[in-house]
Amino acid sequence: MIRGLPRRIAGLLATLLAASFVIFAAVYAAPGDPAVLLSGSRQELTPEKLAAVRAEHHLDDPLVVQYGRWLWDGLQGDLGRSFQYRDHVADLIGARLPTTLELVAYATVFFVVLGVGSGVLAAVRRGWVDSAVVGGTTLAASVPAFVAAIALVSLFGVRLGWFPVTGQGEGLTGRLHHLTLPAFALALSALAVISRVTRQAMAEAYASDHVEAARASGQTERQIVVRHVLRNALGPIVTMCGLVMAGMLAGTVVVETAFGLSGVGSLLVSAITTHDFPVTQAVLLLMVIGYVVVTTLVDLVHPLIDPRVAPGGTPGRKPEGKTA
Amino acid sequence: MRTKLCTTAVGLAGALLFTVGCSGATSGSGGATVDPAKLKLSDTTSKASGAATTVNWIVEQEPASLDMDAQGGSSTRTVMANICERLLLLRPDMTTTPRLAKKAEYTGDKKLVLTLRDDVTFHDGAKMTADDVVWSLKRHARPEMNESDEYEDVDTIAKTGPSEVTITFEKPSALFTKALAGDAGIIMERKAVEKQGDDFGTPGHPDACTGPYKLKSWDSGSALTIERYADYWDDGVRPLTKEVVFRWASGSALVNSISTGAADGAYLTATGPAAVLSKKKGIRAYYGQSTTAWSLSPTKSGALKDARLRKALSLAMDRKGIAKSGFNGLAEPWATPVGPGAWGYEKAAFQKAQKDLEHNGAYTASPSSDDIERAKKLVEQAGAPGEPIVVSSDGSESQTVITNAVRGAAQKIGLKVTVKTIASSRYDEFFSDPKSRDGFDLIPVDWYISKADPAGFYDNGLTGNANNWLGYSDKGYDALVGKAQQTIDDRKRAELVIDAQAKFADDAVWIPLVQVPSVMVLGDKYTGPPASMVSMYYPWAADLGTKKG
Repeated sequence: MIRGLPRRIAGLLATLLAASFVIFAAVYAAPGDPAVLLSGSRQELTPEKLAAVRAEHHLDDPLVVQYGRWLWDGLQGDLGRSFQYRDHVADLIGARLPTTLELVAYATVFFVVLGVGSGVLAAVRRGWVDSAVVGGTTLAASVPAFVAAIALVSLFGVRLGWFPVTGQGEGLTGRLHHLTLPAFALALSALAVISRVTRQAMAEAYASDHVEAARASGQTERQIVVRHVLRNALGPIVTMCGLVMAGMLAGTVVVETAFGLSGVGSLLVSAITTHDFPVTQAVLLLMVIGYVVVTTLVDLVHPLIDPRVAPGGTPGRKPEGKTA
Repeated sequence: MRTKLCTTAVGLAGALLFTVGCSGATSGSGGATVDPAKLKLSDTTSKASGAATTVNWIVEQEPASLDMDAQGGSSTRTVMANICERLLLLRPDMTTTPRLAKKAEYTGDKKLVLTLRDDVTFHDGAKMTADDVVWSLKRHARPEMNESDEYEDVDTIAKTGPSEVTITFEKPSALFTKALAGDAGIIMERKAVEKQGDDFGTPGHPDACTGPYKLKSWDSGSALTIERYADYWDDGVRPLTKEVVFRWASGSALVNSISTGAADGAYLTATGPAAVLSKKKGIRAYYGQSTTAWSLSPTKSGALKDARLRKALSLAMDRKGIAKSGFNGLAEPWATPVGPGAWGYEKAAFQKAQKDLEHNGAYTASPSSDDIERAKKLVEQAGAPGEPIVVSSDGSESQTVITNAVRGAAQKIGLKVTVKTIASSRYDEFFSDPKSRDGFDLIPVDWYISKADPAGFYDNGLTGNANNWLGYSDKGYDALVGKAQQTIDDRKRAELVIDAQAKFADDAVWIPLVQVPSVMVLGDKYTGPPASMVSMYYPWAADLGTKKG
């Protein structure tokens, strides 16, 4: 694992460099003139003013020059100032990142506990319980996050008044109170996916020979589920949880908007619509980093849970060698 | 245990399905409409008598920067109106009165002398000096700054006494004093701004103004708090509310915050949320004057170069229908391209002129069969164009309704219309890049002016003006508007503006549709602030308090 580390880091850096250029070029090529959006209201748009704004933000320079300037400053730890907010990009992101990370973490707790729980339940209790879980998760998977958000706000926020409808709250309990509905809305479809994966992985593990062997050796059903079935199914479940969580880091926009949360998702949307290059660039890169880091961690953790998977992707010991 | 978990999940899913079906009331727009006939416009609300510690207020967006020279926007203005004061004050009835300047007098027609109050202190306690005033005005005038266009005619700005600043002009500028009641007249403390450098206006830094409230804190992304300035220089102003906490939300998040009492009030720019909220218990909606109006702006690219076709189209427009379905009944059919909030002087004269326009020319609230016949005749005279008229729409609710109304009107009078939907960022380009308008013949435009003077609008019809997309050119009109903008006497200027306005309407340079009032929603417990568009320039929080003392 340690041996592969420099290679992984080099790969990460190359990914970031390529991603940063693609993102920069895409924002540059998007329709709309940033100078117009930076100039205030329409009645104040004069050619002189637009020229002054362009000069102030170096918008007349060619793409490569602008990218080069950004990269050079970025390497020195300066992500620049937001066009729209005039504040340091690092400060803007720093103020919003905790909300998004907390939201994703809370949602992860939801989908891991409820998703894995319901998946296990469906796999263990065949029959009506299984059908109910499959039916429920099919329904949950088909509800888009924004619909779930509106429904949750409408029922638990406005009608019942149990949860606040906007803002991120203060203090630990305030945070939990404010983020419960958004996290649940965000977790809902992920929960369904995880539940399915868990159920499937468990079913496959049940069918394997060593479970039969364990059963023949007289272990209780509970021991079989915990020691053999769940343990063998854990690999795909953890991988899937990691991937879903990594995907969430880039997908909080809808929920943040619906619940009036100031996270990096809503920051990104407003940055894109106002052509705020420095912020768009930084937030998207952060999301790329988040995705790469989480998926790398999953890669690293996977062999620890399931020694059948050896690091570096080479085939490891045969499963037969591992049965108790 | 496990079974319980499962039934909870299934139960939740069921509840979701149920609520999806009936959550329309909170979705932010559509559904509720207000009867336009019952819409009462009031500039102010009844006076507050009780103190309040903290009032929660919603703005539609987080302020981008508190440096008003760098960034405007209605949300920032709504917050900063309480913190920053101007040389003159725009009052809730849209008239102006002296403020930081106790006198602003023209001596000769190209010289304005400002006599400053000498008891004004900034929020850090420093006294306001003539140097601060000169520095602030020169900062506004810099070409990259928001308000620089207001300073186009200014020649020099100089201190001419310990409490006196004199401004000279290249040509007489009647609108300049109106601009001094807007953001172009904000006075900041030079030392405080220069000390902060590039950080001025960003979170975590103090303001540099003199208003009844000062910036307490701004947590980027979450909330902005202003608090009563204890050493406020004007003893006549006694704010009842200790602090106002601003948070931001739009659409359904805004509606939900106010319906659940998480926020106590908001000024709204969209009519959808206003219509929904005005029906909720414990919340009152107040409607006030604004300068905002929706119009159709023709371009020179197609058949609408012919004034007869523009007039014909205008005659066939169902403005009542647009007000009802596009603006939830919260708009009013209107014959001029600026709302009544622009009438900061000679109100009666402007009101009469508006009424006159409603009875002749090319205006109808909803067209009768006579109007349609007249319109058809005009089309006949001009000859129906072979190519369809291309109307742009950015897909928003208002623009969709307006473009459908254009299609309907055109059909009745034998014109063909194509609607082209564009992205909203593309829409903004229409205002800066003439090439972006190629291929579009008619563009719906919502326009507001920051000054309470219609003369500030009509330069959009001048020969060669950047907003004159039609390429309209009329020497008589140019002379009238030019003269109006240089006529300092209010009564005489109003006469000239009314003449120019009649010419503008007669030639259908733009096709006015509806005027949209300013809306304030407020929890039942509170009262005091004005409902008019003045909320962007007047320290409204200083009037806010509870009903019972």
